[in-house]
Parts: sequence; C-alpha cells; structure tokens
Amino acid sequence: MTDFDKMSRRSFLSISGKAGLSTLVASAVGTNFGMVSVAEAAMGKGKVTPFRFAIMTDGHLFSHPDHKFDALMAKAVDDCNNMNPKPDFVLYCGDIAQNGLDEQLVKGKNILSKLTMPVKYIPGEHDWYLDMGAAWRGHFGPDVWSFDHKGVHFIGMNSILVKDFWTPAGMSAKERMGTMEMLESPIAGPWGVHEKTLAWLKKDVANLPSDTPVVTFTHGPLWDYYPRWNFQTKDAPEIREILSKFERVMSFHGHVHQTIYNKIGNMGSCGTMSTSWPWPYPDVKLAYPQSQMNRSDPGAFEDGEGSQYIDLEGGFEGSMHYNPFGDMLTPFMKNGFKI
Amino acid sequence: MINTKNVLMGLVAPVALLGLLAANPAAAREPFTKAELADQNAARLAAVDHGRDLWHGSLGSMQSNGLACGNCHPDAAASNPQTFPKFQADLGKVIPLRDMINWCIMVPQAGTALDVNGDDMVAMEAYAFALYTGKAITPGLATKQTTGINVGSGVGYPKKGSGVGYDTEK
Repeated sequence: MTDFDKMSRRSFLSISGKAGLSTLVASAVGTNFGMVSVAEAAMGKGKVTPFRFAIMTDGHLFSHPDHKFDALMAKAVDDCNNMNPKPDFVLYCGDIAQNGLDEQLVKGKNILSKLTMPVKYIPGEHDWYLDMGAAWRGHFGPDVWSFDHKGVHFIGMNSILVKDFWTPAGMSAKERMGTMEMLESPIAGPWGVHEKTLAWLKKDVANLPSDTPVVTFTHGPLWDYYPRWNFQTKDAPEIREILSKFERVMSFHGHVHQTIYNKIGNMGSCGTMSTSWPWPYPDVKLAYPQSQMNRSDPGAFEDGEGSQYIDLEGGFEGSMHYNPFGDMLTPFMKNGFKI
Repeated sequence: MINTKNVLMGLVAPVALLGLLAANPAAAREPFTKAELADQNAARLAAVDHGRDLWHGSLGSMQSNGLACGNCHPDAAASNPQTFPKFQADLGKVIPLRDMINWCIMVPQAGTALDVNGDDMVAMEAYAFALYTGKAITPGLATKQTTGINVGSGVGYPKKGSGVGYDTEK
C-alpha cells in the first residue's frame, strides 16, 4: 500500500496541496486515516514497484450541450478504464474548460468522475483566468501538490501564472479570459510557476535522496519549445536546477496538443495528446523529430487526439505510450519509447 | 508572307511612345505617389486586421460550436495558403483557398459559409497570405510549412505593438 492507495479520492484531494504534501501526508496518514507513517514509504530507484499511470489533458469543453469535445473526453475516460493493466491513477494536465466557466468545469468533472481510478489535476490557462482559479480550486483542490506512490515522488505545479496585464489595461474578467484564450496573443507574455512555487518546490524535494525517482506535471513544457505560443515555462531553468540533484526526472505536460519528446540533462520531457484538437507543429528544429505524430485529417474529428499512459519499471525505467483515437503514430512511438 | 505594314507599325509605335514620355516628364513618374501607396497599404492592413479578427471568432455565424479558425491554425499555421488551389480529398476536386476556408467553417466549425466573393472572405485570405508572404510554394507536409515570416515584433502578425510579452523578450 502507498500514500495514494490508502486514501480515498476525496480525502486525497482534500489534503494534498501547497503546504507541502510530504509533511501533510505524514500527518494525514498517521492521524486522520489510520495509515502507516510516511517513513514506511520507501523511496529510491531500487524501490519502485512497477505500475502504470495515465494522462488526460486539454479537453477544452464548451458550454454547448452534447458538444463533440464532450464525447472525446468521455472516449478517453473509457480508454483509461479499459486499459490492461489498469492505471493506478490518472493525471489531468489542465484546460478542462475552454472559457473558464463553472458550467464547463462541472461538465468536465462529471465526465471524469466516470474514471474508475483516482485523478489528480493541475490547471491550464483556460481553466483559470475568468475568476483567477476560484471555481477550479473549488472543484479540483490545490493547484500545487506532491505525493509519493510506489517509490516515486510525483509533483504537480500550476505553471500558467502571468504578470498582471489586465489591471493597467482596465480589462474585465471576461476580457482577461479572452486574452488568455488566444494562443498567439502577445499581450499576456510568458507564463510560469513564479517565486512562491519555486520556494515550495525547493522545500518539497530538499530531503529526498538523489536516487529518488521524480515525475513532474505542468501545463506547459519545462523547456523553451515555442515561446510565442507559450510552449514554454518561464522559470523552467530554475525548476530544472532545483531538480538537477536527482539522477532522473520525468516531466509531462499538456498545452501543446501533440506528441513531442525532448531531453535536457537529467529530465526527459513528454508532451501529451489532447481530447479536443491537435495544434500544428511549430517550425522548430527538434532533437527527437521522430516524436512528431503524423498529420491529422481535419475531416476526421477524432484524428490527432487521444490519451497516454506511462509504465514505470522497477529501476525507474519509464516507457511512454501515446494512445491516440486515430492512427497517428510514427514507428518510433508505436510500441512506446523509453523516457 | 510578311506584312510589312505591321512590322513598320511595330517599330514606329514604341518610338512614338518614347517621344511622348520624353516630352511629358509627368507621365514617367512612379505608378503611385507615396501618399497613394500609404493609402493602399493601409487598406490592405485593414483587410488583414479584419481577417485576423474573423480568424479568431469575431463573426458568430462562422461557427455553431464555439470553434474559430485560430483554434487549429494559430498564426494561420498549417493553413498553407500559398499551396492553393490544390486537391481537397473530401470534396474530390481542386479548390481555391476560399473554398477550403468555407469547408473549415462548415465542417469542423459547423457554421455558415462566407460569401466567396465578399469582403469578409477577402479579409480572411488577406490575413492568411500576410503570414506567408515570401514563403516558397512547396506543397507537401504541413509540418514543414507552419511558420510565418519574421515581422517587426516577432513571428506572425502583430495586431497591436503591445511592447510587452515574449515578442520583445529576446
């Protein structure tokens, strides 16, 4: 049993958060839930019990009833539920909603409630900027968290924070949201996790030994892929520096709506397929061009979307498997690839 | 048989035209004055600007499901206007860009097609082409053709020079 296994989904969401989950888990499992202390959760790459987790992202649900994106999100839910072996949990990498409306978040929450395993969430910019995350936090809990599962340390961070551009411009909440909705808008500028979360991250990993397997989740990539479309995280260099003490870090992100792999130092980074639409690949020279999926057919609305799962082995070997609705994968990705 | 009258006229006419030009320097001026060129460029940019708004959802009839062209084609990426007319598999024929635009409006966006000869369609094309000016005409994989030209404040079409953001953060 691990931290994650031992908690119900509801209790897990209620205790994990920015205050530092390692500490919270220790107290929560020891007191509130009658579970073993965190000291029993053995960490280190030799201690990993093989397991699978899945990632869903970027549903971009509209308010329209029976919208086609509702069905695509539900299809990914079915895919995750029918995986064999089943994922231990699902990570949702942001942008459940398109316009940040509560009704859109509620719709997503209802669809995702059909998952038969626990779910953890981080926000995307489409979830956040109508009410600065108030509705999102109400539904999905803290936007920064960590937890341990079967010897692996998982970290989720809200990475879509931008400087206040709306107050000087006298924008309404709706105008602010509209500005953030447009991928190529030059107004908002580059987003990131900002100082407070960097300080939290430093503290969160301070006492972890360097052979601890670490997995991170952010909405945008932790490398400069294509900053014009915010295919970046402004403070990614600081994040990578904080995590540089670890032998290996796996980073997963949403936002790019496409398959993409990169590696910087000890960090392997994977983009994820959305359940809404695929973004085009920007004209960027990639270290792993074979991780670009095939061009989607705009006439086939399921083409270019899907979910993904990761199988972690005992020595913290990870294999990334994209799980597209259509036939999108290059030979490099067909049977999964090592991260 | 050579028509000597036609040959003679062919020689005389250009010479006469040159004589006229020499006698009337005003006729040899640039086709347009700077002010005229400025007006024309402003009109073109107004069309591009309007196209940019349409591309991002300013006309409600272009969709019934919330989607705009910019959802799949940020900065007009992967629209490849310079590759049209080309074969469109769903329609089974070679079509111009405006027909492709209307296909996207009607199918993925479930909206009402634009008048193919209307100002809105011209604006849509003006926006798409503005981002591809100078690109080689090389039909093929969209992934090879997804980036616009470099303009003053970054890659793509700057609606407003905001002075903030990553465009200026080099």
